[in-house]
Amino acid sequence: MGYGKYRFIASFLALPLLLYVVFVVSPYVQAFYISMTDWRGFSANQKFIGLDNFVELAGDQLFWKAMWHNLLLLIIVPVVTLGIALFLATMTSLGGRRGLLARGGVRGSRFYQVVFFFPHVVPVVLAGVLFTFFYNPEAGLLNALLRVIGLDWAVRPWLGDTTFALPALTVVLIWGAVGFYYVLFSAAMKSVPTDVFEAATLDGAGRMRTFFSITLPMIWDSIQVSYIYLGITMLDGFTLFQAMLPEGGPDNSTLIVSQYLYRKAFVEGRFGYATAIGVALCLVFIVLAVVALRATRRERIEF
Amino acid sequence: MTSSGLDRRQFLQRLAAAGLLAVPGAGLLSACATGGGGGGGGTTAAQGEKTATNPLGVPADLGLEVVIFKGGYGDDYAKAHEALYTKSFPNAKITHLATTQIAQEMQPRFVGGNPPDVLDDAGAQKIDYATLAAEGQCADLTPLLDAPSVDDPNVKVRDTLLPGVIEQGTYDGKFLMLNYVYAGYPMWYSKPLFEKNGWQVPTTLDQMMALCETIKATGISPWAYGGTNAADYIFDLSLGMAIKQGGPDVAKKIDNLEPDAWKQDTVVAGVKALEEMVRKGYFMPGSEGLKHTEAQTAWVQGKAAFYVSGSWLENEMKGIAPDDFTMTAAPVPVLGPGSALPVEAVHTQPTEAFLVPAKAKNVYGGMEYLRIMLSKAGAAQFAELTASVPGVKGATEGAKKTPGLESMSAVLDKAGSNVFSWKINTWYVNFWKSVLQAQLGNLLAGRIDANGFITTVQAEADKLAKDPNVPKYTR
Amino acid sequence: MNQTDAGVIETRERASTLPTTTERSGNAEGPTAGERTLNLFSTGFLVVWALISLVPLVWAVLTAFKTDREIFTSPWGLPGEWRFDNFVRAWTNAEIGKYFINSTIVVVASVVLVMLFGAMVAYVLARYEFPGRNIIYYAFVGGMTFPIFLALVPLFFIVQNLGMIDTYYGLILVYTAYALPFTVFFLTSFFRTLPGALAEAAMLDGCSHAGAFFRIMLPLAKPGLISVAIFNFLGLWNQFLLPLAIMKSTDYKVLSQGLTLLASDTGYRSDWSALFAGLVIALLPVVVVYAAFQRKIQDGLSVGALK
Repeated sequence: MGYGKYRFIASFLALPLLLYVVFVVSPYVQAFYISMTDWRGFSANQKFIGLDNFVELAGDQLFWKAMWHNLLLLIIVPVVTLGIALFLATMTSLGGRRGLLARGGVRGSRFYQVVFFFPHVVPVVLAGVLFTFFYNPEAGLLNALLRVIGLDWAVRPWLGDTTFALPALTVVLIWGAVGFYYVLFSAAMKSVPTDVFEAATLDGAGRMRTFFSITLPMIWDSIQVSYIYLGITMLDGFTLFQAMLPEGGPDNSTLIVSQYLYRKAFVEGRFGYATAIGVALCLVFIVLAVVALRATRRERIEF
Repeated sequence: MTSSGLDRRQFLQRLAAAGLLAVPGAGLLSACATGGGGGGGGTTAAQGEKTATNPLGVPADLGLEVVIFKGGYGDDYAKAHEALYTKSFPNAKITHLATTQIAQEMQPRFVGGNPPDVLDDAGAQKIDYATLAAEGQCADLTPLLDAPSVDDPNVKVRDTLLPGVIEQGTYDGKFLMLNYVYAGYPMWYSKPLFEKNGWQVPTTLDQMMALCETIKATGISPWAYGGTNAADYIFDLSLGMAIKQGGPDVAKKIDNLEPDAWKQDTVVAGVKALEEMVRKGYFMPGSEGLKHTEAQTAWVQGKAAFYVSGSWLENEMKGIAPDDFTMTAAPVPVLGPGSALPVEAVHTQPTEAFLVPAKAKNVYGGMEYLRIMLSKAGAAQFAELTASVPGVKGATEGAKKTPGLESMSAVLDKAGSNVFSWKINTWYVNFWKSVLQAQLGNLLAGRIDANGFITTVQAEADKLAKDPNVPKYTR
Repeated sequence: MNQTDAGVIETRERASTLPTTTERSGNAEGPTAGERTLNLFSTGFLVVWALISLVPLVWAVLTAFKTDREIFTSPWGLPGEWRFDNFVRAWTNAEIGKYFINSTIVVVASVVLVMLFGAMVAYVLARYEFPGRNIIYYAFVGGMTFPIFLALVPLFFIVQNLGMIDTYYGLILVYTAYALPFTVFFLTSFFRTLPGALAEAAMLDGCSHAGAFFRIMLPLAKPGLISVAIFNFLGLWNQFLLPLAIMKSTDYKVLSQGLTLLASDTGYRSDWSALFAGLVIALLPVVVVYAAFQRKIQDGLSVGALK
């Protein structure tokens, strides 16, 4: 097997890797170099300054504030999003009448399967405008709803409130993300063999029990991968934040790293520094990803 | 620059030798080779013979590439200007490019040393002006200022410009950018609403506070603002009053980042006025959670009486404001008696920067294009197609005007030479956004008081003054 | 498949140590009160979530028919009349027709290419041990974390040196390269969950490595491939930074670039109604594609290879 195997591996990897190295890796390697310069981004002038940018970054309060917001998003958005997505997927894939068991969701599953995905299709710019109207303190739907149900004390200028602006944007992120993971989990659940559920039902396992003992472990790989991917997208979030609170929110309370990076690069003309922010972000993430993968490692379930 | 270029070249060569960068390395190296050298001169630019009709000596056959920010003004006006250019130079091929993503599209071309010949650098994705100036990427436009105007050979171009245009485009003593659109920053109100209620536009702070109380009693909010992205509009009220009271030097000290510039008496008084207005509830509730578009909408719906913004406001709200809204401009009040500038004085700031890149192939063609923009025909075309005022004297004379434009013109006429401006928002955009705008948001939402505002802003300004990474300008 | 049973038993044993909130209920009886409440809550939640998924889309379509004044003064109302001229304006001003064709060509070709390349890489990473495997895997994962706008300037010079500015294949190759990390990341985990025994059996029967991949594993992976292809399609369809570096001429610009022409900034009047109409024009085909492929996923899953 040995020789043929390596030839096969090489033949499968060569072209994709070439493409990836030329168009993705090499620009970023150059970016890595740029992060050690004082390049302003709009001429060929630049000077190598070693790690100065990173030293400055370590003491940059606004950067750490933005980083903190990213970490909050990194924890909250995936947990809530994946929770909702799992629940919805369970209901529509496995939530049917228990007697018949298992496969097939509640009534109208086909409809839900199409509809739940829609938020993922709505362009972020459009979602930004929509939710800006939704949170409008006077004319917005949210405050109107709160007044109707008598929760007047909860009425507030959502996007202008240092405490609630970030949660308000978090909700939009979750809204936009659930559909994708819903589809993913649904597919994963469907690839779990039916007889596994049949066996569980014969054993008399309840729905909760079935979920925690069978469904969850069976699709654990998908969940893990999703968490990491969602975490990565949370590092960005640029488009939505820029569409809804372009100046970083009240007192920079919703400033995220990618916005700060953008500000440094294009508003202040400090591309070298901005690139250092990008490099730092990338490193932080890779560390987190490795830790997360180690911590959640389980033996693979073969079936 | 040369030594730094070498550092970089060596570094890249080593990477390339390591086989990492074979293709892209070559790309940046060539960029480096064609780049280099600060600018501001354009001495190597191609130049033809100077004649009476071609005072800048434009090479008649050389092509011209024009890049236009296609925002609210569209790009029809630019096509009209290009047609005028073709009339003078029929053999020059004109390339017209319209975009909204100025920075992202133009960045590789500035780095690669092949920028266009004319760049309209505007919009949210514009390239930071101070950066371009500091990098020497803009040709010095002094030859343009000293050239005779298109319409009258005895009048130089510099004498056809409205006050403030030259100052606005000057960095370190060089005129680098022609800010073509002449924007004023008054307070705005609906004339019928004020007439119906018998309200008089205030000229002093005391009058204004009294009027606010009256307005508030009717259930209308005296003021609105868009707190999530445009809290700084309100600064036209506070800093405007301060400068009118203390004179243009007040702004100059702030722009030059002088010690204690923010602690000048009139500046503090202006900020205190805002604090008082916040305390008395003169701002529309919830304004801190609104975008400028939402706040303006609430205002044209009659939920608030006053709004401050630039003279583009009417155009921006076209199709949203009721037809009988009759948007009307008035200068902001003075703090009290004995003001250094009369109450008619108004904040103006030319915007929409047109520049000729120093490394453009046709620098003089670019300048000629700007000269044509500033001709009577060019300016009239712009005014007609965009309903906005270009920074040229007499450009809108005889033009049909909307109510807002009409009253803005009247305000500018009355102000005469009593116009003032500040540069801190264009010289230090990041400071303006992340410090001033954020702190102003805090002040207007009642999270901090006037003293807190002044202390924080002064501390940050001092920090900025010492920051070696930000290029400094003075005036 | 004996392995299946063994796996399940193992799973259940491990899982039985997990806390469970509901005790087993006899399967012969009807639903208990607790289960009924759970059912009611679940169904309610499904309906609510369906609403908040559907309403924004409906809102966007309705808004596309409004005047600018209606959009701002009554954002939640119905349009006073159905103004199709918004769509006409979006179509002509933003030249959506031309950009639409460009987007379709580039995105379809990129998705095909990235699915082929991505599956090849993912399969090798998931199924074979070889030195450097983890490095390659993390190089792909890391590629997802870096903001694209940092790469734009170097990327421009690379593409320019290759003479690919303003070409379809230039953008197709770049799209493919930038979609690879996501594709590899997802498909690797997908290939890991597929039964390896089949490929091994095929190879014992005389299939080559590549033969096992193309004849056995690729068809097996169909559901995963379709899902990832759809996500790639959506992602690339809405991508607007990469084409900025590559498509400069108006003839080659893609839809997302065209749409930004309709959006404007502070201080300028935006044609909001045309913007919404343009966004809806761009969005509807995506909805249709998804709705159509939703069935494909079901079909792909019902092949039954996994049973």
